[in-house]
Amino acid sequence: MSEATVLYQDRESKASFAEPEGDELWLTLAELKAVSGWELKPEGVCKDEICVPVPDHQPWTRLTDDRSEKLFNLSQFARHIGQPFAHDDANAVWYFGPAGWEWKDRLASRQAPDFALPDLFGKMHTLSELRGKKVFLLFWASW
Amino acid sequence: MGEELKGQNLEVVTVAADAKGPDAAEAFIGTSKHPSLIDDKLQVAEMFDARNVPAAFWIDESGRMVRANDPVYAQRRNRETGEVSINNQYLDAVRDWVVNGGRSVHVMDSERLSSRLPALEPDDVLAAAHFHLGTYLALHGHADDAVVHFKRAHALRPENWTYKRQASSLGDIERDYGATFQEALKDPASGPFYPPLDLEGRG
Repeated sequence: MSEATVLYQDRESKASFAEPEGDELWLTLAELKAVSGWELKPEGVCKDEICVPVPDHQPWTRLTDDRSEKLFNLSQFARHIGQPFAHDDANAVWYFGPAGWEWKDRLASRQAPDFALPDLFGKMHTLSELRGKKVFLLFWASW
Repeated sequence: MGEELKGQNLEVVTVAADAKGPDAAEAFIGTSKHPSLIDDKLQVAEMFDARNVPAAFWIDESGRMVRANDPVYAQRRNRETGEVSINNQYLDAVRDWVVNGGRSVHVMDSERLSSRLPALEPDDVLAAAHFHLGTYLALHGHADDAVVHFKRAHALRPENWTYKRQASSLGDIERDYGATFQEALKDPASGPFYPPLDLEGRG
Protein backbone atom coordinates (compact mmCIF):
# COMPACT_ATOMS: atom_id res chain seq x y z
CA MET A 1 0.00 0.00 0.00
CA SER A 2 1.33 3.40 -0.85
CA GLU A 3 -0.01 6.82 -1.55
CA ALA A 4 -0.32 7.89 -5.15
CA THR A 5 -1.32 11.19 -6.71
CA VAL A 6 -3.77 10.59 -9.54
CA LEU A 7 -4.43 13.30 -12.15
CA TYR A 8 -7.60 12.19 -13.85
CA GLN A 9 -8.54 14.81 -16.49
CA ASP A 10 -9.66 17.75 -14.36
CA ARG A 11 -9.36 16.04 -11.00
CA GLU A 12 -6.32 15.74 -8.77
CA SER A 13 -6.65 13.22 -5.94
CA LYS A 14 -4.55 11.30 -3.47
CA ALA A 15 -5.15 7.57 -3.29
CA SER A 16 -3.84 6.12 -0.04
CA PHE A 17 -4.62 2.52 -0.84
CA ALA A 18 -3.26 2.52 -4.35
CA GLU A 19 -1.31 -0.57 -5.32
CA PRO A 20 0.79 0.25 -8.36
CA GLU A 21 2.33 -2.76 -10.09
CA GLY A 22 4.40 -1.60 -13.04
CA ASP A 23 1.91 -0.04 -15.42
CA GLU A 24 -1.10 -1.30 -13.48
CA LEU A 25 -2.79 0.99 -10.97
CA TRP A 26 -5.06 -0.92 -8.59
CA LEU A 27 -7.47 1.12 -6.46
CA THR A 28 -10.23 0.32 -3.98
CA LEU A 29 -13.73 0.85 -5.33
CA ALA A 30 -14.18 3.89 -3.11
CA GLU A 31 -10.99 5.37 -4.45
CA LEU A 32 -11.98 4.55 -8.01
CA LYS A 33 -15.00 6.79 -7.62
CA ALA A 34 -13.14 9.55 -5.76
CA VAL A 35 -10.29 9.61 -8.24
CA SER A 36 -12.13 9.18 -11.54
CA GLY A 37 -15.86 9.45 -10.99
CA TRP A 38 -16.36 5.89 -12.30
CA GLU A 39 -18.42 3.45 -10.22
CA LEU A 40 -18.67 -0.31 -10.49
CA LYS A 41 -22.35 -1.22 -10.79
CA PRO A 42 -24.20 -4.39 -11.86
CA GLU A 43 -24.64 -2.96 -15.36
CA GLY A 44 -20.96 -2.11 -15.68
CA VAL A 45 -18.55 0.69 -14.92
CA CYS A 46 -20.60 3.86 -14.94
CA LYS A 47 -20.10 7.62 -14.86
CA ASP A 48 -22.74 10.24 -15.60
CA GLU A 49 -24.81 8.75 -18.43
CA ILE A 50 -22.17 6.32 -19.66
CA CYS A 51 -21.90 2.69 -18.60
CA VAL A 52 -19.13 0.48 -19.92
CA PRO A 53 -20.10 -3.21 -19.71
CA VAL A 54 -17.54 -5.40 -17.97
CA PRO A 55 -16.22 -8.19 -20.24
CA ASP A 56 -17.05 -11.73 -19.14
CA HIS A 57 -13.55 -12.61 -18.00
CA GLN A 58 -13.62 -9.77 -15.46
CA PRO A 59 -10.14 -8.45 -16.15
CA TRP A 60 -10.46 -5.29 -14.14
CA THR A 61 -11.06 -6.48 -10.61
CA ARG A 62 -9.39 -8.73 -8.12
CA LEU A 63 -9.55 -9.22 -4.37
CA THR A 64 -6.98 -8.00 -1.87
CA ASP A 65 -4.68 -10.67 -0.46
CA ASP A 66 -6.83 -11.08 2.65
CA ARG A 67 -9.87 -11.26 0.35
CA SER A 68 -11.56 -8.50 2.32
CA GLU A 69 -11.84 -5.93 -0.42
CA LYS A 70 -12.23 -5.65 -4.17
CA LEU A 71 -9.61 -3.74 -6.13
CA PHE A 72 -10.06 -2.15 -9.56
CA ASN A 73 -7.36 -1.89 -12.23
CA LEU A 74 -7.72 1.64 -13.58
CA SER A 75 -4.91 1.08 -16.12
CA GLN A 76 -6.59 -1.90 -17.75
CA PHE A 77 -9.88 -0.03 -17.87
CA ALA A 78 -8.08 2.92 -19.47
CA ARG A 79 -6.72 0.66 -22.23
CA HIS A 80 -10.20 -0.67 -22.84
CA ILE A 81 -11.70 2.80 -23.33
CA GLY A 82 -8.80 4.10 -25.42
CA GLN A 83 -7.55 6.37 -22.66
CA PRO A 84 -3.84 7.23 -22.60
CA PHE A 85 -2.02 7.28 -19.27
CA ALA A 86 1.48 7.87 -17.94
CA HIS A 87 3.04 7.42 -14.52
CA ASP A 88 6.09 8.67 -12.68
CA ASP A 89 7.26 6.10 -10.16
CA ALA A 90 9.80 8.36 -8.46
CA ASN A 91 6.97 10.59 -7.26
CA ALA A 92 4.04 8.14 -7.47
CA VAL A 93 2.09 10.41 -9.83
CA TRP A 94 -0.31 9.02 -12.42
CA TYR A 95 -1.91 10.97 -15.26
CA PHE A 96 -4.98 9.77 -17.19
CA GLY A 97 -6.02 11.59 -20.37
CA PRO A 98 -9.26 11.67 -22.35
CA ALA A 99 -11.20 8.52 -23.18
CA GLY A 100 -11.26 7.33 -26.80
CA TRP A 101 -14.73 8.70 -27.47
CA GLU A 102 -13.42 12.15 -26.52
CA TRP A 103 -10.42 12.29 -28.82
CA LYS A 104 -11.22 10.03 -31.77
CA ASP A 105 -12.98 11.69 -34.73
CA ARG A 106 -12.87 14.98 -32.95
CA LEU A 107 -13.24 18.14 -34.98
CA ALA A 108 -14.88 16.15 -37.78
CA SER A 109 -17.86 18.48 -37.69
CA ARG A 110 -15.76 21.69 -37.94
CA GLN A 111 -17.59 22.93 -34.88
CA ALA A 112 -15.13 24.71 -32.63
CA PRO A 113 -14.98 22.94 -29.24
CA ASP A 114 -16.60 24.97 -26.51
CA PHE A 115 -14.46 25.79 -23.51
CA ALA A 116 -14.48 27.78 -20.29
CA LEU A 117 -11.34 29.61 -19.20
CA PRO A 118 -10.64 32.36 -16.66
CA ASP A 119 -9.23 35.77 -17.45
CA LEU A 120 -6.58 37.49 -15.34
CA PHE A 121 -9.23 38.56 -12.83
CA GLY A 122 -10.56 35.03 -12.46
CA LYS A 123 -13.76 35.70 -14.38
CA MET A 124 -14.78 32.73 -16.53
CA HIS A 125 -15.43 33.14 -20.24
CA THR A 126 -16.80 30.58 -22.68
CA LEU A 127 -16.66 30.36 -26.45
CA SER A 128 -20.38 29.63 -26.64
CA GLU A 129 -21.25 32.99 -25.06
CA LEU A 130 -19.83 34.61 -28.21
CA ARG A 131 -22.17 32.75 -30.53
CA GLY A 132 -23.60 35.19 -33.08
CA LYS A 133 -20.27 37.00 -33.51
CA LYS A 134 -17.23 36.23 -35.56
CA VAL A 135 -14.42 35.19 -33.25
CA PHE A 136 -10.70 35.57 -33.84
CA LEU A 137 -9.12 33.15 -31.38
CA LEU A 138 -5.40 33.42 -30.80
CA PHE A 139 -3.29 31.00 -28.74
CA TRP A 140 0.03 32.41 -27.54
CA ALA A 141 2.61 31.90 -24.80
CA SER A 142 5.29 33.88 -23.05
CA TRP A 143 8.09 31.61 -24.29
CA MET B 1 -7.18 45.19 -34.29
CA GLY B 2 -9.83 44.07 -31.87
CA GLU B 3 -10.93 47.58 -31.20
CA GLU B 4 -11.00 48.47 -34.87
CA LEU B 5 -13.18 45.54 -35.81
CA LYS B 6 -15.32 45.18 -32.71
CA GLY B 7 -17.94 47.46 -34.14
CA GLN B 8 -18.24 45.04 -37.04
CA ASN B 9 -19.20 42.06 -34.91
CA LEU B 10 -15.74 40.57 -34.49
CA GLU B 11 -14.61 39.45 -31.08
CA VAL B 12 -10.90 38.94 -30.45
CA VAL B 13 -10.04 36.38 -27.78
CA THR B 14 -6.50 35.56 -26.78
CA VAL B 15 -5.58 32.45 -24.83
CA ALA B 16 -2.26 32.21 -23.04
CA ALA B 17 -1.41 28.52 -23.39
CA ASP B 18 1.28 28.67 -20.79
CA ALA B 19 1.90 26.52 -17.73
CA LYS B 20 3.24 29.55 -15.92
CA GLY B 21 -0.26 30.90 -16.08
CA PRO B 22 -1.31 34.35 -14.93
CA ASP B 23 2.16 35.46 -13.80
CA ALA B 24 3.65 35.04 -17.24
CA ALA B 25 0.59 36.33 -19.04
CA GLU B 26 0.12 39.49 -17.00
CA ALA B 27 3.34 41.04 -18.19
CA PHE B 28 2.20 40.75 -21.78
CA ILE B 29 -1.54 41.31 -21.64
CA GLY B 30 -1.34 44.73 -20.09
CA THR B 31 -4.39 46.81 -20.73
CA SER B 32 -5.94 44.98 -23.66
CA LYS B 33 -9.68 45.27 -23.86
CA HIS B 34 -10.44 41.89 -25.36
CA PRO B 35 -10.93 38.75 -23.27
CA SER B 36 -7.43 37.55 -22.39
CA LEU B 37 -7.77 34.05 -21.07
CA ILE B 38 -5.41 31.75 -19.24
CA ASP B 39 -5.06 28.10 -20.26
CA ASP B 40 -2.39 27.03 -17.80
CA LYS B 41 -3.09 23.32 -18.15
CA LEU B 42 -2.84 23.69 -21.96
CA GLN B 43 -6.00 21.63 -22.26
CA VAL B 44 -7.86 24.03 -24.52
CA ALA B 45 -4.80 24.47 -26.75
CA GLU B 46 -4.82 20.69 -27.05
CA MET B 47 -8.54 20.58 -27.93
CA PHE B 48 -7.73 22.88 -30.85
CA ASP B 49 -4.51 21.04 -31.64
CA ALA B 50 -2.47 24.26 -31.44
CA ARG B 51 0.92 22.57 -31.82
CA ASN B 52 2.84 25.78 -31.68
CA VAL B 53 2.06 29.33 -30.77
CA PRO B 54 0.92 31.77 -31.90
CA ALA B 55 -1.90 29.80 -33.50
CA ALA B 56 -4.97 31.63 -34.80
CA PHE B 57 -8.45 30.26 -35.45
CA TRP B 58 -11.37 32.00 -37.13
CA ILE B 59 -14.79 30.95 -35.87
CA ASP B 60 -17.98 32.10 -37.56
CA GLU B 61 -21.24 33.25 -36.00
CA SER B 62 -22.58 29.71 -35.74
CA GLY B 63 -19.49 28.42 -33.95
CA ARG B 64 -17.87 26.74 -36.95
CA MET B 65 -14.15 27.00 -37.58
CA VAL B 66 -13.37 28.62 -40.93
CA ARG B 67 -9.60 28.91 -40.48
CA ALA B 68 -7.43 26.84 -38.18
CA ASN B 69 -3.88 26.90 -36.89
CA ASP B 70 -2.59 30.01 -38.65
CA PRO B 71 0.97 30.61 -37.43
CA VAL B 72 0.84 34.37 -37.24
CA TYR B 73 2.09 37.27 -35.27
CA ALA B 74 -0.88 39.45 -36.12
CA GLN B 75 0.35 41.77 -33.45
CA ARG B 76 3.77 41.69 -31.87
CA ARG B 77 4.82 43.98 -29.07
CA ASN B 78 8.47 44.89 -28.76
CA ARG B 79 9.44 43.92 -25.21
CA GLU B 80 11.64 46.93 -24.64
CA THR B 81 9.87 49.75 -26.43
CA GLY B 82 6.28 48.50 -26.15
CA GLU B 83 5.91 49.26 -29.84
CA VAL B 84 3.43 47.09 -31.70
CA SER B 85 4.13 45.76 -35.17
CA ILE B 86 1.31 44.29 -37.15
CA ASN B 87 1.34 41.77 -39.95
CA ASN B 88 -0.71 43.85 -42.35
CA GLN B 89 -1.29 41.11 -44.86
CA TYR B 90 -2.92 38.98 -42.21
CA LEU B 91 -4.93 41.90 -40.85
CA ASP B 92 -6.25 42.60 -44.32
CA ALA B 93 -7.37 38.99 -44.57
CA VAL B 94 -9.24 39.31 -41.27
CA ARG B 95 -10.86 42.54 -42.43
CA ASP B 96 -11.89 40.82 -45.63
CA TRP B 97 -13.55 38.06 -43.63
CA VAL B 98 -15.36 40.54 -41.41
CA VAL B 99 -16.79 42.22 -44.50
CA ASN B 100 -17.43 39.19 -46.72
CA GLY B 101 -18.07 36.43 -44.20
CA GLY B 102 -18.37 33.00 -45.76
CA ARG B 103 -17.64 34.42 -49.20
CA SER B 104 -14.15 35.53 -48.23
CA VAL B 105 -11.39 33.79 -50.20
CA HIS B 106 -9.61 33.23 -46.93
CA VAL B 107 -12.29 30.94 -45.53
CA MET B 108 -10.89 27.41 -45.64
CA ASP B 109 -12.63 24.60 -47.48
CA SER B 110 -13.01 21.20 -45.81
CA GLU B 111 -9.83 19.81 -47.30
CA ARG B 112 -7.65 22.60 -46.04
CA LEU B 113 -9.30 22.62 -42.66
CA SER B 114 -8.74 18.86 -42.32
CA SER B 115 -5.08 19.27 -43.18
CA ARG B 116 -4.76 21.84 -40.39
CA LEU B 117 -6.69 19.66 -37.95
CA PRO B 118 -5.53 16.09 -38.55
CA ALA B 119 -7.27 13.24 -36.74
CA LEU B 120 -5.59 12.27 -33.49
CA GLU B 121 -3.89 8.91 -33.09
CA PRO B 122 -3.03 6.95 -29.94
CA ASP B 123 0.55 8.25 -30.01
CA ASP B 124 -0.73 11.83 -30.05
CA VAL B 125 -2.72 11.41 -26.86
CA LEU B 126 0.03 9.35 -25.24
CA ALA B 127 2.54 12.11 -26.01
CA ALA B 128 0.08 14.56 -24.47
CA ALA B 129 -0.23 12.41 -21.33
CA HIS B 130 3.54 12.40 -20.82
CA PHE B 131 3.69 16.12 -21.56
CA HIS B 132 1.02 16.90 -18.97
CA LEU B 133 2.65 14.63 -16.41
CA GLY B 134 6.01 16.33 -17.01
CA THR B 135 4.43 19.75 -16.67
CA TYR B 136 2.77 18.78 -13.40
CA LEU B 137 6.04 17.42 -11.98
CA ALA B 138 8.00 20.49 -13.04
CA LEU B 139 5.47 22.83 -11.46
CA HIS B 140 5.49 20.85 -8.21
CA GLY B 141 9.20 20.97 -7.54
CA HIS B 142 10.26 17.90 -9.52
CA ALA B 143 11.75 19.47 -12.64
CA ASP B 144 14.47 16.82 -12.88
CA ASP B 145 11.96 13.98 -12.82
CA ALA B 146 9.90 15.76 -15.46
CA VAL B 147 12.64 15.47 -18.07
CA VAL B 148 12.10 11.81 -18.93
CA HIS B 149 8.42 12.50 -19.59
CA PHE B 150 9.10 15.54 -21.76
CA LYS B 151 11.60 13.47 -23.70
CA ARG B 152 9.00 10.77 -24.22
CA ALA B 153 6.56 13.37 -25.54
CA HIS B 154 9.24 14.75 -27.89
CA ALA B 155 10.09 11.27 -29.14
CA LEU B 156 6.46 10.41 -29.84
CA ARG B 157 5.68 13.75 -31.47
CA PRO B 158 8.86 15.42 -32.70
CA GLU B 159 6.95 17.95 -34.81
CA ASN B 160 5.14 19.33 -31.78
CA TRP B 161 7.09 22.44 -30.88
CA THR B 162 4.83 23.34 -27.97
CA TYR B 163 6.17 20.27 -26.17
CA LYS B 164 9.75 21.33 -26.80
CA ARG B 165 9.34 24.99 -25.96
CA GLN B 166 7.37 24.38 -22.79
CA ALA B 167 9.92 21.80 -21.62
CA SER B 168 12.72 24.26 -22.18
CA SER B 169 10.94 26.97 -20.22
CA LEU B 170 10.49 24.60 -17.28
CA GLY B 171 13.98 23.16 -17.14
CA ASP B 172 17.64 23.55 -17.96
CA ILE B 173 17.70 22.97 -21.67
CA GLU B 174 21.41 22.61 -22.13
CA ARG B 175 21.82 20.18 -19.27
CA ASP B 176 18.67 18.16 -19.88
CA TYR B 177 18.19 18.22 -23.61
CA GLY B 178 21.56 19.10 -25.08
CA ALA B 179 22.99 22.11 -26.90
CA THR B 180 21.63 21.08 -30.27
CA PHE B 181 18.10 21.24 -28.84
CA GLN B 182 18.80 24.73 -27.60
CA GLU B 183 20.07 25.79 -31.00
CA ALA B 184 17.05 24.33 -32.72
CA LEU B 185 14.74 26.30 -30.46
CA LYS B 186 16.56 29.55 -31.10
CA ASP B 187 16.73 29.12 -34.85
CA PRO B 188 13.26 28.63 -36.30
CA ALA B 189 14.77 28.07 -39.72
CA SER B 190 16.36 24.85 -38.50
CA GLY B 191 13.09 23.00 -38.58
CA PRO B 192 9.42 23.21 -39.51
CA PHE B 193 8.77 25.59 -36.65
CA TYR B 194 5.72 27.10 -38.26
CA PRO B 195 3.87 25.86 -41.30
CA PRO B 196 3.98 28.48 -44.05
CA LEU B 197 1.28 31.10 -43.72
CA ASP B 198 -1.08 30.48 -46.60
CA LEU B 199 -3.96 32.89 -46.67
CA GLU B 200 -5.85 31.12 -49.44
CA GLY B 201 -8.87 29.19 -48.37
CA ARG B 202 -9.86 27.22 -51.40
CA GLY B 203 -8.43 25.53 -54.47
